[in-house]
Amino acid sequence: MRRLAVVALTAAAFAVIAAPAGAAAPKRVVALTPFTANTLAALGVRPVAIGQTLGGRERFNKRLKGVRTLPMSHPNGPNLEQLASLNPRMVFNSPTFRKGSVGIRSLEIKVVESDPHNIAESVAQTRRIGRIVGKRKQADKLALKLLKGVANARRNIRDRPTVLLILGVGRTPFVFLRNSWGGDVLRNAGGSLLTAGRRDRGGFARISDEVVVAEDPDVIIAVPHAAARDIPSITRYLRSNPAWSTTSAVRNKRVYVSTDNSLLQAGTDAGKVIRTVRRKYLKNAK
Amino acid sequence: MILRRTAVLAVGLVALVCGFAASLALGAVQVPLHDVIDALLGKAEPGPFKQIVLTLRLPRTVEAMVVGAGLGVAGALLQGALGNPLASPDVIGVTAGAGFGAVLILLVFPGSIALLPVGALVFGLAAAALVFAIAWTGQNAGSVGKLILAGIAMAALFTAGTTSLMTAYPDRVQSVIFFIAGGLTSEGWRELEVVWPYLAVGFVIALGLIRPLDRLALGDDVAASLGARPRLVRLGAGIAAALLAAGAAALAGLLGFLGLIVPHVVRLAGGTASHTFVVPASAVGGAALLVAGDTLARTVRAPIELPVGPLMVVIGVPLFLWLLRKAV
Repeated sequence: MRRLAVVALTAAAFAVIAAPAGAAAPKRVVALTPFTANTLAALGVRPVAIGQTLGGRERFNKRLKGVRTLPMSHPNGPNLEQLASLNPRMVFNSPTFRKGSVGIRSLEIKVVESDPHNIAESVAQTRRIGRIVGKRKQADKLALKLLKGVANARRNIRDRPTVLLILGVGRTPFVFLRNSWGGDVLRNAGGSLLTAGRRDRGGFARISDEVVVAEDPDVIIAVPHAAARDIPSITRYLRSNPAWSTTSAVRNKRVYVSTDNSLLQAGTDAGKVIRTVRRKYLKNAK
Repeated sequence: MILRRTAVLAVGLVALVCGFAASLALGAVQVPLHDVIDALLGKAEPGPFKQIVLTLRLPRTVEAMVVGAGLGVAGALLQGALGNPLASPDVIGVTAGAGFGAVLILLVFPGSIALLPVGALVFGLAAAALVFAIAWTGQNAGSVGKLILAGIAMAALFTAGTTSLMTAYPDRVQSVIFFIAGGLTSEGWRELEVVWPYLAVGFVIALGLIRPLDRLALGDDVAASLGARPRLVRLGAGIAAALLAAGAAALAGLLGFLGLIVPHVVRLAGGTASHTFVVPASAVGGAALLVAGDTLARTVRAPIELPVGPLMVVIGVPLFLWLLRKAV
C-alpha cells in the first residue's frame, strides 16, 4: 500500500512538473532557422512564419508549405514590425542573429536560440525543442529517427578520401573546420577533413594554400553561395588555382560545387545529406 | 642630413631584403632552407616544396613588395600634391571605388570570380576619374579643396554602394570579409599579370613628378615662377596615385592605411619632406612593411591566415606614434 502511494505521489509530482511545459507550450511560434522550422513541422507544430534561407526551400518539410517567410538581414534577423504583426509568443532564433534577440524580447516574445553545429547537437536540440513545445515523446522519436538515419547512412564506408571543403569563392575562400555543420557531415560521410582536428571560432577559417599543396586533397568541394548555373565557371576557376592545380582532386577531376545549403545549414535530414555527400562527392557508397 | 637620409634608406632596404628572405623561408609548411634556395636557383626536383616556394611564396612576396611600394608612393604623391598630411588614396575615392568593384563581382557575379582584380581596378580608376572630372570643371577648377571634397563625396557614394550590396546579399558576405580587411593571396602570377602595366605606368609618372612636387611644396605662385604648372602636377600626381592605389587594391584588397602612414614615417625618420627622398623611401618602406606584415599574417597562427590589413595597423601605429612623439 505504501509502495503504491509512493508511485502515485511520484507520478503526480512528475505530472505537476511536466504540466507547465505542456500548458505553456506556445501556440504561435516563429522559426527563423531551417533546422528549427523542420523540427517543429516534424513534431506537428506549424509555425506562423519561418525565416528566409539561402539555397531555396527544397529542404523544408512539406508541412511548411504556405507558411509565411520572413526576410532576414544581418545582424538583426527579421524586421521587428513584421514580426510583431504576427503576434508570436515564441521565436526560435539563430545565434547568428543574436543581436536581434534583444529587440524581439522587448516585444515580450520569448526567444529560444537553436542552430546546431554538428549532428550530436542536432539530436540534443531536437529533444530540447520537443520539451519546449510540449512534444517530448514525439521529439524523442524524432531524435531516434535522426540517429538511425545517420547510422544507416554511415554503413560500409571503405574509402576515406582527404577533402578540402570550402565556403564561398573569391581570392580567400574559408575552409570548413570540424566544428562546423558541413565539417561534421563530411566526417560522418567518411571524408577526412584536410583541416584535420583544427577548430576555430565559428567553424570556419582561412587556411594557407601551402597546407593544401602539402596535404594534397583527393576531393575539393566548394559551397560558393552561387546559383546552379554558375557551377561550371566556378569549377573552372577553382581548378585553375595554381595552388591547387597539382592536387589529386584537380588532376582526377574531383572538384565539386554544392549550390544548396545542405552542408552549410543544419537540418533534420542529416542521414540524407550524408548519403548524398557519399554518392556525389566522396564516391564511397555503393 | 644626407647621412641621416642615407641611413634611413639603408635601414629600409635591409628590412626589405630581410623581409623578402623571411617571406620565402617561412610559411604554414616548413620548407628546409636548402630546398628554398634550390627552388630559387632552379635546381629543385619537382614536388610540393618547389611548388610552395615558386608558385605560392615567390609571387605573393613580389605582390606584397609591389603593393606596399605602390601604396607608399601613392600616399607620398597625394600628400605632396595636395599639401595635406591627411591625403591618401582614400581621399580621391580610389579605395572606395575598388572596394565596390570587387564586392560587386564577389556578391553579384560569383560565377565570374576571375574578374575580381579587373572589377577592382576598373571601378577604382572610374571613381578617381569622376573625382578629377568634378574637381577640374566649373569654378575653382583644380583647386585642392574642390578635389578633396569631390573625393570624399565619391568615396561616400561608392561606400554606400558597397554596403547596399552587402545588405542585399547577406548570405554571401563572408566572401567579402578578407577583401575588405585587406590581404594577399597565393594565386601565382595571374593577378599580377593583369595589373602590372597600370602599376608600371603609375611608378613611371611618380618618378617624373619628384622635382615638380618639390617645387609645388614652395607654394603655387613660387612653383609657377620656377616653371612648374601646379594644376597639371596635381592632376599627374592624382592619376599616378589612382593607378597605383587601384592596382594595389586589385591585388591585395583595401589597405589604404599604408598609403597614409608610410610617407609620414619616412618624413619623420628622414627629417625631410623633400620628394627626392620621400617618394623612393616610401616605396621601400611600404614594401618592407607589407612584406613583413604578410609574413606575420601567414605564420602567427599557421596554418590559419590572418588578414594583413589589421596587422599592418597593429605594426604601423606604434611605430608611427613613437616617431611622432620623438618629432614633437
